[in-house]
Amino acid sequence: MKRGGGSRNCPYLLSGPLRVHADDNQTAEVKLQSVHGSELRSGDGTAMSAVSTPAIETDGLTKHYDGARGIEDVSISVQRGEVYGFLGPNGAGKTTTIRTLLDLLHPSAGRAMIFGLDSHAHSRDIRARLGNLPGDFTCDTRLSGREFLQFCAQARGMNGLGSGPELGQRFEADLERPIGQLSRGNRQKIGLIQALFHEPELLMLDEPTTGLDPLMQEEFLTVIDEYRGRGGTVFLSSHDLDEVGRVCDRVAIIREGHVAAVERVAVLRGRTYHHVSIDFESPVDRGEFDRLPGITELECDGRHIAFKVTGALDPVVKAAARHTVLDMELTEPTLEEIFLTFYGRESGA
Amino acid sequence: MSAIARPSTQVPVPQARPAPDWPASLRAVVRRGLRDQRRSILTWGLSLGVYGAFMASIYPSIQNSVEKIAKNYPESLKQAFGVQAMSTVEGYIHAEMFSLIVPLALGFFAIRAIAGATVGAEERGRLDTILALPISRRVLITGAYLVTAVACALIMAMTGVMIYLAARIAGTSISLGLVAAGVMGVWPLTLLFAGVAALAAGALHSARTVTGLGLGTLVGMYAVDLAGRLAPSLDPIRWASAFRYYGAPMRDGIDPVSFLGLAGVGVLLLLAAAVLFDRRDVLN
Repeated sequence: MKRGGGSRNCPYLLSGPLRVHADDNQTAEVKLQSVHGSELRSGDGTAMSAVSTPAIETDGLTKHYDGARGIEDVSISVQRGEVYGFLGPNGAGKTTTIRTLLDLLHPSAGRAMIFGLDSHAHSRDIRARLGNLPGDFTCDTRLSGREFLQFCAQARGMNGLGSGPELGQRFEADLERPIGQLSRGNRQKIGLIQALFHEPELLMLDEPTTGLDPLMQEEFLTVIDEYRGRGGTVFLSSHDLDEVGRVCDRVAIIREGHVAAVERVAVLRGRTYHHVSIDFESPVDRGEFDRLPGITELECDGRHIAFKVTGALDPVVKAAARHTVLDMELTEPTLEEIFLTFYGRESGA
Repeated sequence: MSAIARPSTQVPVPQARPAPDWPASLRAVVRRGLRDQRRSILTWGLSLGVYGAFMASIYPSIQNSVEKIAKNYPESLKQAFGVQAMSTVEGYIHAEMFSLIVPLALGFFAIRAIAGATVGAEERGRLDTILALPISRRVLITGAYLVTAVACALIMAMTGVMIYLAARIAGTSISLGLVAAGVMGVWPLTLLFAGVAALAAGALHSARTVTGLGLGTLVGMYAVDLAGRLAPSLDPIRWASAFRYYGAPMRDGIDPVSFLGLAGVGVLLLLAAAVLFDRRDVLN
């Protein structure tokens, strides 16, 4: 998968200085005490969480609502500089997980650490360092985007609007009109800008491309790729498998409140099957391919054969090479198909 | 792709930004809240002010008839509504406005303002956005309380100024001190009912329920106080009503102990509300 600027621009993964903003007019240098250790200190001696500490770590995180399932025993670890997908259908527990991480919901059991800090005890310190886009972004609709950003900036102790105006240009957002007069997609742009404008270390995004037109979705994915390249961490909740597949390094699949699987996207793809379709010059024996390991759903009508193959492709290629091949098509499964292998079709995902 | 034509803004390097101190967060919440309340403050202030100014301006022309009518009132009603003091413009304005309309109106304003900024925002999903900022819930509810307190003070100031000016223009010898005492005297009452609403918001998730509970307490306390004033046998229960301590500041001036006591109870309710609000889930 294409990666952004990588560690060259990533102050957190190298032993270079980490900039800490006391406010907009004051930038303090932080010296790394130990790259692999557990503590960093700022110039004034303030303890900082270590670069090696996961950005997010949950241990048996559970949230029950009155008589309803929320999430159950969710244990995940999101490394710094990673784009981590949180994939599941509506109602699976994605939003509950994010809202519990943000301390909007108090866990029924288990705990969550963000930057090595307890998500409840240090909630305010954590929220100063992250940007969040809720699943249904809403704010005082009488405010313009600029006024809303000004409020966010003041609440974050900033003197200006950070990179808000530049992001506004990039997303072609109207920062002057009252938010209530904007379309859903344009409101979502304001939501994305407020999540990013203060240059957070961690982005929590819940269905971020909802309402965005295809061009803006592309722009958003580019922004996320750049953000990762410059050292940012992203926790991306989505039910859009293609979106997750394009930007995420790893993905957790959540089903009915439980994490069903956590896997690198590349590995996830690699572990699954391929669709193979071959046209031969002359008819072939069906049994010749049926006997190969990992072949399923084989269809053969003489000179054309199609099947799914799980695992290595080498036996298929060698078997086909014994004949004259006119055409061969190898198709990777979509993430949706992979997703369905985890979920089972009966889930209706 | 059109992105090629767009400005080549780079996504900024993430920064480890510490949380601002809580007074800075509180300032941001209060500043925003007051801007949000600008229109309400003007509407309520002008409405009460115009009504008060009208009452003050007609006093010279109805003074004699008011005194005659007042003589025919039963003694208990005179006591209950302050009718016996209608021989002065301050007493008249207290009886017409500050014994019932203004306290109920301002109390309702305070309850609604607190409910809107807390559970109302929660119902509309806005708290998810606000509480993703480094704003603690205690600061959020305290900010809402301060905004309400300032808004009520501004509404009362507008009302007081308009009453005073109208009464002076009408040729009465209205006392600036008593008008000031009258409008200031309502303020701790609004702080108390704002505290009641905050306490309810700390525990509940429905703006309608919080408003209903606050309004019920407001009307219930007024009814208890009124019953105690009308029926001497019920007088002992008046201790439970904030209106007993409110008294009649427009007519009699401010009782500092009652003033501080009502405000203090309001602040104590706010402290309890902040603890509750901190402990509960934020739903949407």
